[in-house]
Amino acid sequence: MTGFPLYLATRLGQFALVVFIGINIAFIVTHATPINPVEQSIAAATQFGSTSPEAIALMRQSLKELYGLEGGIGAQYIAFWRRVAVGDFGPSLSAFPTPVSTLIGRALPWTVGLLVISILLTWTLGNLLGGLAGYFRDSRSLRLAGIIAMGFHPIPYYIVALILLIVFGYLWPVLPISGGYMMNMPRELSWAFLGSLATHSILPILSLVLVGLGGWFMGMRSLVSNVVTEDYVTYAELGGVARSRILASYVMRNALMPQVTGLAMSLGAIFNGAIITEQVFGYPGIGSLLVSAVHAGDYSLVLGITTVSILSVSVAVLLIDLLYPLLDPRVRAR
Amino acid sequence: MRACRRLALLLLVSLCAVLPALAQGSISNLPRKETLIVENPEGTIKNAGWFNIWAINAGGQSTGLHQLAMDTFWYIDPQRGVDGVWDNSLASEKPIYNADFTEMTVKLRKGIFWSDGVEFTADDVVYTIQTHMKTNGLRWSAPVQVNVADISAADPSTVVFKLKKPNSRFHALFTVRWNAMWMMPKHVFEKAGDPLKFAFDPPVTLGAYTLNSYDPNGKWFIWQKREDWKRTTVARFGEPGPKYVAYIDAGPPDKRVIAQLNHELDIIHDTSPEGMFTIAKQAKTSHGWFKGFPYAHPDPTLPAIVFNAQSDLFKSRDIRWALALLIDIKAVSMASYRGAATISAIGVPPTGSAPEYYHVPLESWLQAFEIDTGKQKLKPYDPTVGKQIADMLRPSMGDQIPTAADDIAKSFGRGWWKPNPKAAQELLERAGFTKQGDRWLMPDGKPFAIKLMVEGEGRPVMTRAGSMIAQQWRQFGIDATTVVAQGSMADRRAAGDFEAMITWSVETWGGHPDLSFFLDSWHSQFVAQPGKPQPPRNWQRWSHPELDKIIEQIRGTAFDDPKGLELGREYVKLVVREMPTIPLMSYNVFTVMDETYWTGYPSAETAPYTDPVPNWGNTKYMMVRLKPRS
Repeated sequence: MTGFPLYLATRLGQFALVVFIGINIAFIVTHATPINPVEQSIAAATQFGSTSPEAIALMRQSLKELYGLEGGIGAQYIAFWRRVAVGDFGPSLSAFPTPVSTLIGRALPWTVGLLVISILLTWTLGNLLGGLAGYFRDSRSLRLAGIIAMGFHPIPYYIVALILLIVFGYLWPVLPISGGYMMNMPRELSWAFLGSLATHSILPILSLVLVGLGGWFMGMRSLVSNVVTEDYVTYAELGGVARSRILASYVMRNALMPQVTGLAMSLGAIFNGAIITEQVFGYPGIGSLLVSAVHAGDYSLVLGITTVSILSVSVAVLLIDLLYPLLDPRVRAR
Repeated sequence: MRACRRLALLLLVSLCAVLPALAQGSISNLPRKETLIVENPEGTIKNAGWFNIWAINAGGQSTGLHQLAMDTFWYIDPQRGVDGVWDNSLASEKPIYNADFTEMTVKLRKGIFWSDGVEFTADDVVYTIQTHMKTNGLRWSAPVQVNVADISAADPSTVVFKLKKPNSRFHALFTVRWNAMWMMPKHVFEKAGDPLKFAFDPPVTLGAYTLNSYDPNGKWFIWQKREDWKRTTVARFGEPGPKYVAYIDAGPPDKRVIAQLNHELDIIHDTSPEGMFTIAKQAKTSHGWFKGFPYAHPDPTLPAIVFNAQSDLFKSRDIRWALALLIDIKAVSMASYRGAATISAIGVPPTGSAPEYYHVPLESWLQAFEIDTGKQKLKPYDPTVGKQIADMLRPSMGDQIPTAADDIAKSFGRGWWKPNPKAAQELLERAGFTKQGDRWLMPDGKPFAIKLMVEGEGRPVMTRAGSMIAQQWRQFGIDATTVVAQGSMADRRAAGDFEAMITWSVETWGGHPDLSFFLDSWHSQFVAQPGKPQPPRNWQRWSHPELDKIIEQIRGTAFDDPKGLELGREYVKLVVREMPTIPLMSYNVFTVMDETYWTGYPSAETAPYTDPVPNWGNTKYMMVRLKPRS
């Protein structure tokens, strides 16, 4: 086997190995945590109400049976892989008996919606401004845009989010600061609901865009700065090709390749969620679900989310690997 | 480029014009003036559509579910109660025990209906108990299976529990202090199949409210007053004020403050002391349990330094007392609650009826109490500490700090132990410790080191208290450090995997002086072997023959028997002498109530009818006192 088939087989093999190792590590880490879901449930069930110590031992035994934690780690490992093979992560231990897949399915669309929009916005704006700033190096307004983008970049995300909350939630209270849509609004395909979805997502998206913009901006500006010194750009300029065409067809297009890889990686990583964004803005999503699962010692839910995340990042990398030869002739030649 | 600049400017101007138009209320399709918005401290409920509260932790509890939708036989109020501390809710009278406490009869209130129009009867009670007897893994299966031999309905409004062994406090299982065992609707659950797998959505309720709507992502739950609210138990006290009650995930403390300043959150469950001070300064319509400083409601919970009695470090009473005498509680109060703490030297939280039953009557005993260091006898109790804290705060807080002795005691507590490093040194020396340079060494020559476990960011106030105490011990030459447990606190506490920690092993009814709520679990029969899990609440794993005797006597005494109070005071004296834990203060909750839309909230000064902390089941009584602001 040679050429593309060999390339494809190698990449698929790497993909399978990465997924297998990643999921195994996730299994080991979740089971090594000092947090025991049975003790968490007992603590939650008894921390305020009347408690009989005699009853606790009985409760502990019942919960172990109910959660399927009676067998050893080996038995649990085999059971886990059996379930994963058919796409079933079992019941959540902190929302028993609701299946993990139901909980993930409920939270995931929010995370995907929020992060896809904010990543695409950030990527497009950052690359566009960065490209323009790299090409039109004397433009004052682009320099100013650069200062703003790079000024926000090193500020810790939480601070930016908090400033937005205070500005638009308190000082000039024009935007909702909590939730994914207005309380009690029917979830239906209506203008009112879509409008509510949009207004509730402005601050989370804005916070992600403000902090993320600088990275893409700087990367693209550096790439363009290198490309503009290439001979073919100089020849194009000498040949009287319009500057807008040089920028679009000769400069940006060539500088964009590494940024496309970065975009794919970022899109793959959205399944990790945006934990701080979700916490600060009370936005529903998989990040908050993961945090609450970790606190509750809910192995099943943590494993479900991490498995989805591992798969999505690995698939994104695989797709890039497979598409690269089509996009870049130098890779195809190798 | 000029066109780009113009476009950017146009966008900015349009944004400024459009944004205010996007501003909208926080709630859709409901009149804000008829809606009470309350913070649910559980946050986001990951399994929002689950209302079967009898399944352990399968869904939310304080989403309004147990406050507004559930009911059971009795309630004990942590404060004074709407009509006394004890309320017969679904029961029409107090529990009736036979002479040896092996049988409990409950007379049920007539004319109470489920929200679907079916009458509540003894059959529901029998079904609830029998379901728990035959099903493992329900929230109250274990206590029912341990206690109940049989249940029967003598008639539609009388049930008789036959117990497996004498239990004079069996009724506590059905007496709400935060929560209790709630009654199940037989006509719904008997058709539902496995009670562990039934979501109970929508719930059929016994409370005065029924579910209106909820967010499938668990951010909010809205309850609506039942049209037939007169057929529920709270109707005895009048009509509930709010037509709708929304329980929401209000986010981190900063956001709760912003939401209340915008009048979009009527009740904050708890915020940081700093958040409370901000609201007090900026919002004229908001107040806490105390109208002024210290604002917070002292819960009937007693944070303390809990020593692991199975650790060799703390087996000696002298060591425990020495560590108590090294604490300056004024500094701990400032570090933890910025002064807004209600201190207690004794093993009962200084809240509800406890000051009347315990703190005041024992004040003279405490003042006369002596410890003998071997070199001197001293009276460690300083009755003026509460006043000293008030005096310390007065320059910065001005008129908000009360001046009358009784008011100071209610707000800041009474006395505490006077720091006495010399006595601490003598006690340590008697225990075989020696001082070398600036460091204390244990009898085996190793440095005296203490790891004080704290919860971390989940409970910042208590974490700050722990840091201050460790610092004070360090200043004396003990190698004390704090260990942050974060999410593993519950596991490590149950496993005994700690030397000392800041937590609570004392929780009381609040309004009733009986201490068995926590004290029964302190009997030596329940102390786990090292390495085995300890059941709540004797986290210190401490036992004492005298304490066993007290507990056994309480077990043989009826709940309201005045002898129980005497025995409770004996417990207090014993734990002062032995110091198995160092009580610090009540757990103060900064519940903040906004009167923009609603009036009639509970308050220490004028309306102490219930605990305002809204995740308590007892807050169902708040609804009948709340009235819309006219």
